[in-house]
Amino acid sequence: MNSAISVRRLTKDFRVGLRGLKLRAVDDVSLEIPRGQVYGLLGPNGCGKSTTLKIVLGLVSATAGEITILGCPSATPEARRRTGFLPEAPYFHKFLTGRELVRYCAQLSGVASADVASAVEDALGLAAMTEAADRPIGTYSKGMLQRIGFAQAVVHDPELVILDEPTAGVDPVGSAAIGRMIHAMRAKGKTVVLCSHLLGQVEQVCDRVAIMDRGKLVLEGRVEDVLSRRDRHVLTIEAMTPAAREAAEAALAAHGAKVTSVTHPRRSLEDLFRELVTGSRDA
Amino acid sequence: MQASLRRVSWIARVTFLEAVRQRFFAFLLVLGAAMALSSVSFRVFDFGHGELKFIADFGFGGMFLFGSVLAVVMTAQLFFSEMDNKTALTLLAKPLGRGEFLLGKFVGAWAVLGVFVAVLSGLLGLVLWAREQELLLLAEQSGKVPATFSASGLAQFALLQWLRLGVVASIVLAISAVARTFLYAVVVGAMAVVAGQLQWIAQDAVLKPSDSAAYDAVLWLTSRVIPNLQQFNIGDALVLGSTGVEGGVVFAVVLAGGAYMIAYVFLGALLFKRREI
Repeated sequence: MNSAISVRRLTKDFRVGLRGLKLRAVDDVSLEIPRGQVYGLLGPNGCGKSTTLKIVLGLVSATAGEITILGCPSATPEARRRTGFLPEAPYFHKFLTGRELVRYCAQLSGVASADVASAVEDALGLAAMTEAADRPIGTYSKGMLQRIGFAQAVVHDPELVILDEPTAGVDPVGSAAIGRMIHAMRAKGKTVVLCSHLLGQVEQVCDRVAIMDRGKLVLEGRVEDVLSRRDRHVLTIEAMTPAAREAAEAALAAHGAKVTSVTHPRRSLEDLFRELVTGSRDA
Repeated sequence: MQASLRRVSWIARVTFLEAVRQRFFAFLLVLGAAMALSSVSFRVFDFGHGELKFIADFGFGGMFLFGSVLAVVMTAQLFFSEMDNKTALTLLAKPLGRGEFLLGKFVGAWAVLGVFVAVLSGLLGLVLWAREQELLLLAEQSGKVPATFSASGLAQFALLQWLRLGVVASIVLAISAVARTFLYAVVVGAMAVVAGQLQWIAQDAVLKPSDSAAYDAVLWLTSRVIPNLQQFNIGDALVLGSTGVEGGVVFAVVLAGGAYMIAYVFLGALLFKRREI
């Protein structure tokens, strides 16, 4: 019962062409996504991660396997009531304002009529969209579209939030804003499932990751565990002179250790970009 | 139940807003209105029939033609815009039943068709009333029996047309629920309208049993599955009183239309339930 999502031996075949050839999109995948964590689902295009999410949400039926969401069978209204979803490249009715869209989604998500107004304001605030909420969605930038999509996904205060490529096409500032929203959800004890190609961001925000390839799960575990190389170490040294380096290498060699490379630490281009432009504008 | 109705009403509301913003709706509404208003100018071509009948027939024709096109194309477009733009992904990931979604789409589309019928009927009523006043004056001067029309009959006819368009919209939604493309839904929907207009042939044939039980069964099934859209065309009798309308006929047509609408929306919901989004 500690799993937010439990996927057991999930398989999905699509029939393609007139002859109905079988295309296996998801192949015997089993996953346990713990509650209260940020979980990254990674993989190249066409690896089956979006199909897996659609099956979890009941939008596509599974060929075989079992899925439960927060203890309820997936695809039931009760499971969806406790889940929020931001699809990849979300498109909303352009004639609605951001506030109208979030109110519409609140009504569909079963928020009590008396609580709709406050739920809408909370969701808009969390997505930093309060100021732009009364503009038609057709006037929104890509980053704002993702953020209003995030607001509609969380307006009913779900326990589980599924974000499919929330940063696709969004610049680093907008991407960082979405990262902050994910952190905020985790701080509130929510489970977040994040599907993304931005590996740097996944590394920063996720507690656990799973990597899929050609429909199969190829790796799953805590981010620290899967990324760390236990047989290598990094020392960061300030004001190192050639003499100090020689001495350090000699001291290490005395203990059987060997320096294999010496480089200067680098910050990522994303960090540099964000440092230079953060705060100068909204995404 | 109340929560379900609330979800359906919200889907219908947004569907309605989307539809009335479409240029296609405005285009057909303007065409239909122009046809109703211009009927006075063409009354010299009344082919020997009464002027009011010609004007009424012209208006009925506009309502039938443009209303049918609107019911088929707009309904399919409203459904496929949700599928193709993937807004359905966002909506159906919420605790919203597929049946509720389809019913909401239907109610929204039917409300737009109601606006269409109300506007055209209102304009037609105005044109008929204006010409009736002129004809009354002429009749007074010449001592002839004046031609008149029935406003309440026009209202009943408008209700029947709204119902007919609702039946068409429900059929198109049921087709859309399984169709992979917008074009397929429109073509098959248009064929269904034509079949509905010709359904009386199957009904007549049912009354004359053949030697083949299979043939009779197919005819019987056809005459039940396809609604008779001709039964809604009693405008002459209702508006101009050219022939009498028996008591209960309008009620029977309303009942039949309502039953077909419910059946096709239900069928659409069943089919849509199996669709992969």
